[in-house]
Amino acid sequence: MAVKKRKKDLHFFERIYLVEIIKGLLLTLKHLFKPKFTLQYPEEKIEQAPSYRGRPVLVMDNGKERCVACGLCSRVCPALAIQVQASETEDEKERYPVLFEINMLRCIFCGFCEEVCPEEAIVMSKDYELVFTRYDDAIFGKDKLLVPVEKLKDRLEFVRTQMRK
Amino acid sequence: MAELKTDHLVLNMGPQHPSTHGVLRLEVVLDGEVVIDVIPHIGYLHRCFEKHCEAMTYPMVIPYTDRMDYLASMYMNFGYVEAVEKLMNIEIPERVKYIRVIMGELQRIASHLVAIGTFGIDIGAFTPFLYCFRDRERILDLFEMTCGARLLYNYMWIGGLSHDLPPMFIPELKSFLKDFRKNIKELNDLLSYNKIFIERTANIGILPADTAINYGCTGPVLRGSGVNWDLRKNDPYSIYDRFDFEVCVGKGEIGTVGDCWNRYMVRVREMEQSCLIIEQAIEQLPEGDVTSAIPKRVKPPVGEIYFRVESPKGELGYHIISDGTVNPFRVKVRAPSFVNLQILPVISKGYLVADIIANLGSLDIVLGEIDR
Ligand code: SF4
Ligand code: SF4
Repeated sequence: MAVKKRKKDLHFFERIYLVEIIKGLLLTLKHLFKPKFTLQYPEEKIEQAPSYRGRPVLVMDNGKERCVACGLCSRVCPALAIQVQASETEDEKERYPVLFEINMLRCIFCGFCEEVCPEEAIVMSKDYELVFTRYDDAIFGKDKLLVPVEKLKDRLEFVRTQMRK
Repeated sequence: MAELKTDHLVLNMGPQHPSTHGVLRLEVVLDGEVVIDVIPHIGYLHRCFEKHCEAMTYPMVIPYTDRMDYLASMYMNFGYVEAVEKLMNIEIPERVKYIRVIMGELQRIASHLVAIGTFGIDIGAFTPFLYCFRDRERILDLFEMTCGARLLYNYMWIGGLSHDLPPMFIPELKSFLKDFRKNIKELNDLLSYNKIFIERTANIGILPADTAINYGCTGPVLRGSGVNWDLRKNDPYSIYDRFDFEVCVGKGEIGTVGDCWNRYMVRVREMEQSCLIIEQAIEQLPEGDVTSAIPKRVKPPVGEIYFRVESPKGELGYHIISDGTVNPFRVKVRAPSFVNLQILPVISKGYLVADIIANLGSLDIVLGEIDR
């Protein structure tokens, strides 16, 4: 099969390309003196807005989780990442989760769990650096999920004022 | 002397080939360096989108639509939520409509920037790719500021948006548009009218208009062949009829209408038009509540709907069948990349191996959307 003949648009001088290369180099040279756009990542980090959706965490109030183990978050999770097991407690909230696990390999950071929670007990944090070396490490239990409420102030404020609650 | 026997060479390009834009395997049949046939093998990224949807409630499908065309997630959301709203007859607030258009057009610019940047990289121009990604990064920053994610937004919900724009959004957007106009000019200098680039792309992979229509191509691929067809104008959805913009078609000022260069140039021009739409939308943006129309329970009546939007890649259609429960009975997607990919064997035959890369880059496919 023969190669299709191409119609040529360029004449001889244009086909030398030297002019093009110099033009391109001049443009990139100009950029050498422009402010840098990149960040040196592990050393410098971006400051996230309160709207940022990092990994979901449980809010810890006075050393205890706010969650009442209603199970709404696990029902609404599109990735079926949450597992909650409820039990009864003496506190006024009456129920608490004995087991609360989020499988971080499944979680897609959609934020539905946060939106549906009636107690503001689960929120999206600013934490995005998730590294595991084993599959088991990726299943976050209460020990890893609980975060004191002081650290989540701006996100809680954001959820309360901006989202449909 | 007897004729020497020659044989065709079958070459596998991919699935890990960097210029197949994802996991696509091309089975290329060669005669020397001339392409006899190209057979795309797809399915490496199949995630059972449609089967998943049957088990999900309507709002829970939205994050899954994000993951189809992950370079244009906002537009994937856009099509889906508008389809469900049509099915349920929800009237959404004016502000929501405008924000959706702004987001959608920003997404179109971001998607085209990736298309242009990677197209350049495919045929050996590395620097424009970096400049494209620099600009795209600013759009992603805007998205991150608004909805908290850089790639998979889950921002548009059925009946509204997850939350309103942050106060800094509009000023930042304006400053971005101002800079971006200059950057398009720079891009044109560096890449579009670069003679080396023209040599690689002009008169390559010519797709005649009638073939494009017969194969069902849409989006920049169809418009690159000179067909004036854009759903934003021809079948206006949402509020696109309120804006004043042009549909860009391949004019063939360089090369032939329908070749790689013209398909590429349609995208560059569309970015300018998107800027125009965004500017008009900012002007007209009304005040209001964006979450007020979100229904407590999404349960559409029995029925079905086909709703199509012009995504950055072409006609994106959602065919949703509802059986009156909270789960959709079926969500069928007409993905533009899937249809556009079919044209690759047609436009590659008779060209050289290296031209396949140019052809594929100019089609701008996303495998997440093809395989779903
Ligand atoms: S929705 Fe909130 S209260 Fe209910 S189980 Fe989930 S975290 Fe706990
Ligand atoms: S963010 Fe989404 S995927 Fe992750 S646990 Fe919450 S609901 Fe599930």
